[in-house]
Amino acid sequence: MSLRHWCHRCWLGLVLWLALIPLMALTAQAQGPTLIFQTAQAEITVQGQTTQRQVSLPYLRDREHPAQSGWMVFELRFSLAAPPLEPYGLTIPKIGNGYLVYLNGVLLDRFGDLTRHDRADAKLPRLIAVPPGVLQSTNLLRLMVGADVGRQGGLSTVTLAPMELARAAYVPFWRWRVLGMQMVAIFSALIGLIGLLLWLTQPAVRADGTVGRDAVYLYGSLAEFCWVFRVADSVLESPPLPLPWWSVWSALSLWGWSSLTVLFCIEVVGWGKSGRLPAMRRWLGVLGLLGLGAAVAARVYGWPPALTVWYGLLGLTFLLFSLALVWQALQRGAGLNSRLLAFAILVNVLMGLIDLYQLRVNPSMDGRTSLYYSSVLFGLIAALIVLRRFSSVSRQAQHLMSNLNSLVQHKEQALSISYQRLENIAREQARSGERSRILRDMHDGVGSHISTAIRQLQSGRASGDEVLQTLRDSLDQLKLSIDAMHLPPGDITALLANLRYRLEPRLKACGIELEWAVDELEPVAGLDAGAMRQLQFMLFEAISNVMQHAQASQLRIEAQQTAQGVCIGFVDNGSGFDADWASKQALKALRARAQATGLQCTMLSQPGRTVFEIAAGRAVLSASIV
Amino acid sequence: MWRVLVVEDDAEMRDFFAGSVARCADLALAGSVGTVAEARAWLDDASNLVDVLLTDLGLPDGSGLEVIRHCVSLHPRCEPLVISMFGDEDNVLTSIEAGALGYIHKDATPDDIAQTILDMRAGASPISPMIARRVLSKYRADQVNAANAASIGAEVAADSAGPAPDAAGNAPTRQLLSTREQEVLAHIARGFSYAEIARLQSLSVHTVQSHIKNLYAKLSVHSRSEAVFEATRMGLI
Repeated sequence: MSLRHWCHRCWLGLVLWLALIPLMALTAQAQGPTLIFQTAQAEITVQGQTTQRQVSLPYLRDREHPAQSGWMVFELRFSLAAPPLEPYGLTIPKIGNGYLVYLNGVLLDRFGDLTRHDRADAKLPRLIAVPPGVLQSTNLLRLMVGADVGRQGGLSTVTLAPMELARAAYVPFWRWRVLGMQMVAIFSALIGLIGLLLWLTQPAVRADGTVGRDAVYLYGSLAEFCWVFRVADSVLESPPLPLPWWSVWSALSLWGWSSLTVLFCIEVVGWGKSGRLPAMRRWLGVLGLLGLGAAVAARVYGWPPALTVWYGLLGLTFLLFSLALVWQALQRGAGLNSRLLAFAILVNVLMGLIDLYQLRVNPSMDGRTSLYYSSVLFGLIAALIVLRRFSSVSRQAQHLMSNLNSLVQHKEQALSISYQRLENIAREQARSGERSRILRDMHDGVGSHISTAIRQLQSGRASGDEVLQTLRDSLDQLKLSIDAMHLPPGDITALLANLRYRLEPRLKACGIELEWAVDELEPVAGLDAGAMRQLQFMLFEAISNVMQHAQASQLRIEAQQTAQGVCIGFVDNGSGFDADWASKQALKALRARAQATGLQCTMLSQPGRTVFEIAAGRAVLSASIV
Repeated sequence: MWRVLVVEDDAEMRDFFAGSVARCADLALAGSVGTVAEARAWLDDASNLVDVLLTDLGLPDGSGLEVIRHCVSLHPRCEPLVISMFGDEDNVLTSIEAGALGYIHKDATPDDIAQTILDMRAGASPISPMIARRVLSKYRADQVNAANAASIGAEVAADSAGPAPDAAGNAPTRQLLSTREQEVLAHIARGFSYAEIARLQSLSVHTVQSHIKNLYAKLSVHSRSEAVFEATRMGLI
């Protein structure tokens, strides 16, 4: 017994067994007979030559006339004890590519054209109803079948039985060849859609650090979409394209699925950087071109061996690739993904080779494609790998985010420490500046006045009032120095108010009546604590001059806001003082102090009127003594 | 005649202040001591009566603030005055919050010292522009905080349909200064004297002085209520 016959019988036995289980169960309940036809009287026409002979069913035309189309008439004669009253059915697992079914001269069913095969191809199992009254005691079932080149044209076994039994015999074929294919197509479409969505939405970091899309998702997705087309070919009897070109498209879909599967595996296993990858890609491209040519030769020009050879080439390529995958998967350290893929690809390649043998090398009427079902295994593993990859990438992203947060926190801490350090430095500088200012005040004010008092006492020439005056000046300077610590920068109103508070008792003691005409003044920009202290000194000196030299009985202190800044005026009714003398003495010191602190000071003095002008930054402070 | 207790650690300065008090016909020197302990002992003696406490802040065994608080607790009608070298705002404000009603400069003349005591008993308390500015500034900051708290409280109340939680707590702050008192303080901060303020505000000098003395008392009460409020908020009471 040849291998072909062995396979053929095994497959036939399995299907019949599956079909007969419900059949036997129902036979016990049904009344009518069940007839299974395994031989037929055939009239076979090839290139206009007709021969008649008895044939076994199933009859596959490709085995006898592999490169020629034609049509056949099968006649099945049978007798019944009595014409049945119940409805009957005919179960025909395979009839095609086009057919007409007559029973006792009544047309029961038809599909396609017996001579032209460019639009339809009957691929699916048939359940044909036999209306009551058609069956007689003596019957003739006539099946006219048109067969195209290389399309498994012919006739399978035929079962005639009461409708319930016929349907029971039909269902297993329908489940395997219709429902199963539809589910495979839907499953592949879902996997493809998920892969496409992941490819569109999930960015991936490449080896060079750039961010792009993950090719694994794309390859997996496109492979599954190609497979949808390939599987659809097994259930579509009236495809959207002319049949020859639809067959070419189907062959290319197989090539697309297998090539993209290879690329998917290469990416998953990590062979993307291999130097052999370009050669592999080129070979896949060549396979595509060869597939196109072979499919056209087989389907358009009717030379099926071209497609058989191409399938063999494709199978060989994938066999070698799967062996390489298995070898890699058997290496120590190979990941779970690699091993799962190797297993799935190996199973698929083996199934594909078996299919190749049964469909192309040694075709049979009941030939079926195991690859359609084994591809589900690859689809499941591909989905698992894609989900594991997505999960891994998500974890990496979370890890990166965590690291980024940690990095940001570290940077924030470092920044905070840096700010703290800068604040400490600034605070220390402020303290240092304040210490310098106090030391300068002590040197220029209290220290100077106490030294003067000591010299006055040592010389014996100074009166008690003069020494007292010096010491009071010293104490006033000290109070003003302390007040200056709390003066808001630029607040000349506060400065003048405080000056009055400190010096008014002495003005009273000098018999000078004070008139106060100070407006509410806006803070002057650019007058910091140091400049305020210098201004305070200058105004103190000016008032001291009035008290000591002007011999006045009234003093008017004015302050108004001007466009340039603030104008401060001191007006007394005294005798005034010599401007030349003043410029050489106390007023000279005032000018120097103003210049030293960045203030501009000009002075004009004449009998009865002395004017100071002091400018700080853009604002001009005019301090006039008249 | 007002009975005056002088608390000053420097003997010469204590004698100077004691002499300044004794020389005034309207004042009587009730006692003069140099430490917190002596002052406490003197005040604890029920036979000793005092109308004015004149105390330095820096004492050898503690702060004059302790003497002020002790005195106010034992003699509520006694009016404390702080002896200050500079009359600087930090020390003066701390003293006011402890219950002092004024301060006297150490370099004041004997006549000025007696007059300041008499003025205070008559209803006048001294205040410097810097202190006025500081009080105004703090009051305005409190007002802003109270407004913010009320705003937040209103939002919370709107959300929870309950009363604003901070409304009661900040009531003393909002009611601390009257409009007139704020105006008087603003003029003092600008350097105007009591007489000038009275003229500008069409008030009597005495009224202006009363505003300041009232302000001192309010600051002391406010300080205590603030402490109570803070302690309540922190869960200490």
